[in-house]
Amino acid sequence: MSIGSPDSTVGVEEHPASAEPVRTAATPHGKSPSRIAFDRLRKDKVAVICASIVLFFVLVAILAPLLAKLEGQDISTFNTQQIDEFGYPTIGITPDHWFGIEPKTGRDNFARWVYGARPSLIIAFLATVVGTAIGVVMGLLAGFLGGWVDRVISWLIDFVLSLPFLLFAIALVPIVESLRGGSFNLTPEDQANIRFYVLIFVLAFFGWAGLARIIRGEVLSLREREFVLAAKAIGVPTYQVLFKELLPNLVAPIVISASLAVPAYVTAEAGLSFLGVGLVEPKPSWGQTIAVATNWYKADPLYLWLPVIGITALVLALALLGDAIRDAFDPKTRR
Amino acid sequence: MLYFVARRLVSALSVVLATLIATFALFFIAPTDPAAAICGERNCTQQRYEEITKNLHLDRPKVEQFADYTIGIFVGRDFTTSGVTQHCAAPCLGFSFKNDRPVTELIGSRFPVTLSLVLGYAVLVLTIGVFVGSMAAKRRGSLGDRALMTSTLVVSSVPYYIVALMVALYLTIVYPILPRGEWTPPSENFGKFIAGLLTPWLVLGVYNCTSYARYSRGSMVETLSEDYIRTARAKGLSDRVVTYKHALRSGLIPVVTIFGLDIAGSLGGAIFTERIFDLPGLGQLVLDSLNNYDLPVIMGTVLVASVIIVAMNFLVDIGYSLIDPRVRLS
Repeated sequence: MSIGSPDSTVGVEEHPASAEPVRTAATPHGKSPSRIAFDRLRKDKVAVICASIVLFFVLVAILAPLLAKLEGQDISTFNTQQIDEFGYPTIGITPDHWFGIEPKTGRDNFARWVYGARPSLIIAFLATVVGTAIGVVMGLLAGFLGGWVDRVISWLIDFVLSLPFLLFAIALVPIVESLRGGSFNLTPEDQANIRFYVLIFVLAFFGWAGLARIIRGEVLSLREREFVLAAKAIGVPTYQVLFKELLPNLVAPIVISASLAVPAYVTAEAGLSFLGVGLVEPKPSWGQTIAVATNWYKADPLYLWLPVIGITALVLALALLGDAIRDAFDPKTRR
Repeated sequence: MLYFVARRLVSALSVVLATLIATFALFFIAPTDPAAAICGERNCTQQRYEEITKNLHLDRPKVEQFADYTIGIFVGRDFTTSGVTQHCAAPCLGFSFKNDRPVTELIGSRFPVTLSLVLGYAVLVLTIGVFVGSMAAKRRGSLGDRALMTSTLVVSSVPYYIVALMVALYLTIVYPILPRGEWTPPSENFGKFIAGLLTPWLVLGVYNCTSYARYSRGSMVETLSEDYIRTARAKGLSDRVVTYKHALRSGLIPVVTIFGLDIAGSLGGAIFTERIFDLPGLGQLVLDSLNNYDLPVIMGTVLVASVIIVAMNFLVDIGYSLIDPRVRLS
């Protein structure tokens, strides 16, 4: 995988076996590898469809307040007058409540659904950014500096990868809460906010190690190349060699790993919320709604299916898009 | 070889030690008041609070507490609750003041459930996954292969818990095609034991088969293009012998690596499966403990799960180096 910006592709053409001869003939000279990958992606029908689905959810999340206002409802009004004595909603889909109302509380389903897209996307995105940044820096340092730095970081990677992720995530929640004086001393809003940051922290903490290992391996082979030697020989400072010379050559593995991390994090966030260790009331979240809705799935299937469809469509689109991105950047893995 | 094993063992032990220190730090140093956290906020009397403080020596330095905990793992220790002294035999992973039982005992009582779940799953995933994968590799590029690979990609992109939940709700309750998940010890009623685990096995197995099929297909495609396969074909060996005897044996090595880690991870609690199908395994134990803030149990389970993963990692490495001598050199 030798992909880099035009000024640092010395030696790439020396391995014609790994390149695609047809492709090089078809693409005009001077296109950057990222550009080539993007062009490939645009021709991939599955990728385009998935990207539009993802875009749809991003728009829903951004425009959630507007959409809720358009419907005329909000996420926290209890419409108890429309709930019967057993907690079942007495109304279905109405012009006032586009997706009906929640059993027991009577809150508006549509408003909670559009707001529910927010935590999934924000947490997944932030965790990816943080995890990727840490992974890249750690991988660069370990691969380039070598010696004891490499040994310490490699050991850390092994350590993190051998921790049981789900169990640790579950264990961290009560710990962090007890640090803040226990869940009983917190207001629901405080608790929900703490959970939000704990989730990002946990996902990023377990997410960086895999990428760091890949980056380290890539850097180990790159640092022996002529352009790095040349940079070192003319006295370029280490951080500049790392971030100006090496980093552009690592775009492909970074983009691939990040695009596969996002769906994994959306899945993990909703899964943890489903288990009761993720987001809590009053923050609307799909995973938590699914957990509650399993008690009502016979009487009110729509209540269960809304978040189920939301998560499934979002994760499926993100995962297939990630797969297409990997194929575009690294044609050798193509099926 | 001996050097390789020794080096691997040292690094595995260092990871176990680090996990022990990390979990201890997490549970006993991070909370400002571990006794209150262990005692819980509901029904925590002053007497119980003091009992816990005394029992865990929380008034003494942290290093001493850690030494106590570590020694307890190897030789056991005593706990006094409500005036009764209970011995927590080695390997003692702490004491659950909520259940009035040593943590090891609680984990031991739940482990058979998780183990049965994982064993059945392992059989399913290895047989079906590898079979489908190698069939697809043999017919590479055909319509069937492409349809299969696309469908496995789509299935494995849907979150696992959604699939499991939908099957549990709709195929076992609304339309009772499959038996409902429940736990019956095999010694009590073997038929009920199988019936209760059948649906969880199938869901876990079929869902994860998709990734195993893709791994084994990829590895088989590579192996089938090797020179020695061509040699075997040229010798006039039958297609079946070439595929299943020559290619599959080396094609399976990477699959076995992933398999080992996957099984180790699941043994620490197949949390979603246990929660959705209501099986009282390790994962369920952790979730229950979370609900009543039973920190010693969570800590013990985390430790056990980490040790299982590290041990399996070690075994996979050793096994790998036995099969493929090139590994030892790196």
